[in-house]
Amino acid sequence: MAHIVTNKCQRCRFTHCVEVCPVACFHGDEERLYIDADTCIDCSACIEVCPVRAIYDQYDMPEEYQTCIAINSKALDFPVIDTKHEPLPTAMERKKELGY
Amino acid sequence: MKKFYTIKGACPQDCPDTCAMIYKVEDGKIAKVIGDPDNNLTKGRLCAKLNNFAEHHYNPERLLYPMKRVGKKGSNDFARISWDEALSEIKKNWQSIIKEYGAEAILPHAYLGNLGSLNGLTSGDRFFNALKTTVAEKTYCESGSSTAWMLTYGPIGGLDPESFAYSKCLVFWGHNPLSTQTHCWPFVLEARKKGAKIIVIDPVRTRTAKQADIHLAPKPGTDAALALSMINVIIEEGLYDAEYVGKYCSGFIELRKRAAQFTPEKASKICGISAENIILVAREFAKSKASAIRLGVALERHAGGGQAIRAITCLPALVGAWKYPGGGAVQMTLWSYPLKWDKMSRGEWIKPGTRVVNLLDLGAALTGEKYNTDITPIKSLFVYNSNPLCMAPNQNKVRMGLERDDLFTVVSEHFMTETARYADIVLPASMQGEQLDIMFSWGHFNILLNQKAVEPAGECVSNTELFRRLSKTMGMTRPHLFMTDWELIDEYVDWDSDTMRGIDLEVLKEKGWARLWVGGSPDIRAPYSKGNFPTPSGKCEFVATGAAEGNHVKPALRSGYTYFQQGSAIDPIPCYIPPYESVDSTPELAKKYPLAMVSGKAHAFLNSQYANEKLQKERQGEQIIIIHPNDANKRNLNSGEDVKIFNDRGSFSSIVEISEDIRPGVIYANVGYWDSMIKSQTGVNNVTDDRHTDMGESGAYSDILVQVEKM
Repeated sequence: MAHIVTNKCQRCRFTHCVEVCPVACFHGDEERLYIDADTCIDCSACIEVCPVRAIYDQYDMPEEYQTCIAINSKALDFPVIDTKHEPLPTAMERKKELGY
Repeated sequence: MKKFYTIKGACPQDCPDTCAMIYKVEDGKIAKVIGDPDNNLTKGRLCAKLNNFAEHHYNPERLLYPMKRVGKKGSNDFARISWDEALSEIKKNWQSIIKEYGAEAILPHAYLGNLGSLNGLTSGDRFFNALKTTVAEKTYCESGSSTAWMLTYGPIGGLDPESFAYSKCLVFWGHNPLSTQTHCWPFVLEARKKGAKIIVIDPVRTRTAKQADIHLAPKPGTDAALALSMINVIIEEGLYDAEYVGKYCSGFIELRKRAAQFTPEKASKICGISAENIILVAREFAKSKASAIRLGVALERHAGGGQAIRAITCLPALVGAWKYPGGGAVQMTLWSYPLKWDKMSRGEWIKPGTRVVNLLDLGAALTGEKYNTDITPIKSLFVYNSNPLCMAPNQNKVRMGLERDDLFTVVSEHFMTETARYADIVLPASMQGEQLDIMFSWGHFNILLNQKAVEPAGECVSNTELFRRLSKTMGMTRPHLFMTDWELIDEYVDWDSDTMRGIDLEVLKEKGWARLWVGGSPDIRAPYSKGNFPTPSGKCEFVATGAAEGNHVKPALRSGYTYFQQGSAIDPIPCYIPPYESVDSTPELAKKYPLAMVSGKAHAFLNSQYANEKLQKERQGEQIIIIHPNDANKRNLNSGEDVKIFNDRGSFSSIVEISEDIRPGVIYANVGYWDSMIKSQTGVNNVTDDRHTDMGESGAYSDILVQVEKM
């Protein structure tokens, strides 16, 4: 069991999470971030800092995001992101769309 | 409108990180507990164990009232009683026991279910010492390690884990910080970014080992041979720091001679790792200069665990690593804290000649196997801050003892643990958010004040209040037994100590924590760059001056008592002591039980604490053992099947996971699962033994052989 970045991250990629992650378990591509489940230690530090609450503890993740587990399992295909990046240009619009 | 406030606290658990916490209180209830974002280590996050700490306080299964047993021992049949009734029941029983057998017939049992200075390890010492009960020797963890560490270096806190950021080579030896010291990891990653190598030495490919640049998986209990071989390579290849050794270390010639016996080829056979890898690690460690070793608690849990730590502790001094920020070793930073252990325990109240019972021998003591119980039996057991039926070795023996109808058992607890089920009287204990304490750490240099956020649930009381009540009940009059919590804080901490420069209660009340003055900030700190070790010689002692009485337990772990150390002389030069049980040292036994079993800490539990929480249970999953594919094939096992793990002492059941994360010939199991969570209704400690190791009366938990078969 680990933490999961859901599709809410798409078109946002705020990357606040990578700054608080103590184990550098976030990977990313141009679209979004992924958590490497084997490296994540379940500390939950990332959950609260995400402006769109895109990250869930698998333990209490809503049913609708279950498919994201498989998506996160591709984390190692992408480089580690451990420093804060500029959000995607669509981030503010997406944030609004998500109701935050 | 809701009444909302926050208050600063500190994590109570026996973990090196001792996090700075913030209690968020809403309408008199703790709504949320978070890591203090301003703390240099906690940095706003707790961990997989503590993230639901607020909810833990309100777990519906929490014990809220005193209870007395109305059914058979162990049956969980209890009835609610008042505190007055509970105390008078205790008084009646104890008075009658004392009258007939003397107070030594009462045995206190405690450990670090709470790490606080007030409510932790020593919280009952003053009361029990005043009552003149048997003295408990509490050596569940780090006792042998502490004895060995101090023989080499004296009582020093050692390397600051924050300084890991400046290390060039980091060795985690028998330590899995990604499960058990997670807040140090950002410093490790910082060092790695600057090119540091991470080396993990562990028979198991743990979470930490998976992140390492080099992982060596020696056979369990062979660490001393590995360390001596590294010393051999470093000396023979001229990689040691002759100047540092010449000025600040003693016994180089003797160490060199001893290490000469451990060529990489010979150590390779003992440890089951290649000579090339031993040489590789030795060179990496020596050449990196600012090399660091974090000694894990697992190291001591073998026949020769103390000597292994002695050998390992020689390494940083040998290469002069202490000269550099980020270089050296850390066992427990705790030794730098200005705590007045003598005041906390009041060992002087113990009558010389009073019996000492080592708590790892709980089963043996209760069943009359040891400790002259024919003369003075143990007629009452008082358990707090601990769950021995789960965590003590040789579970069957402990259970047999707890089942005794003539044993009057009192247990102070948060939950109805397996141990509590055997109590005659159960007392409800408060949790950290409900009590005041001042916290030290064994993995950093902050002192923290845990302020009470809310009133205790139900009729729960803190340990300090529990022992005040018991003191009154037993008619005691010493004023020290009735000091308030604030008075205890004043008394237990040496506020005038140099390490407390600029720190007072006002600072701690406001900020919650402060860094001790221990020789500069983590980027420049190198307090042993010129030796100055507080040993008898003032040097790092490769040959231990204190060897004649080397096998002793530090007074802090035995209520301040100095009599009846059960120990003996040790080899003054670090040496290799083979395991009690292994294929190599006991081949006959290994025919019956061919697999070594190592038991380690679970990621989501803190020993047996939190194993009853739904979230942590889900995270941790069911009890599993990890076995190598070769060993699984021999037994025709498939992953996910139920297996039985057994030896002459007992057995437990588990789900098997087949993986190369463990070396062949070894199985790994996490401790902490309650019996009720396991099919066999017995736990990992059903197969462990109550033998002690070579130093500090530590438990040889991971020095056992077992067999595994399909259920």
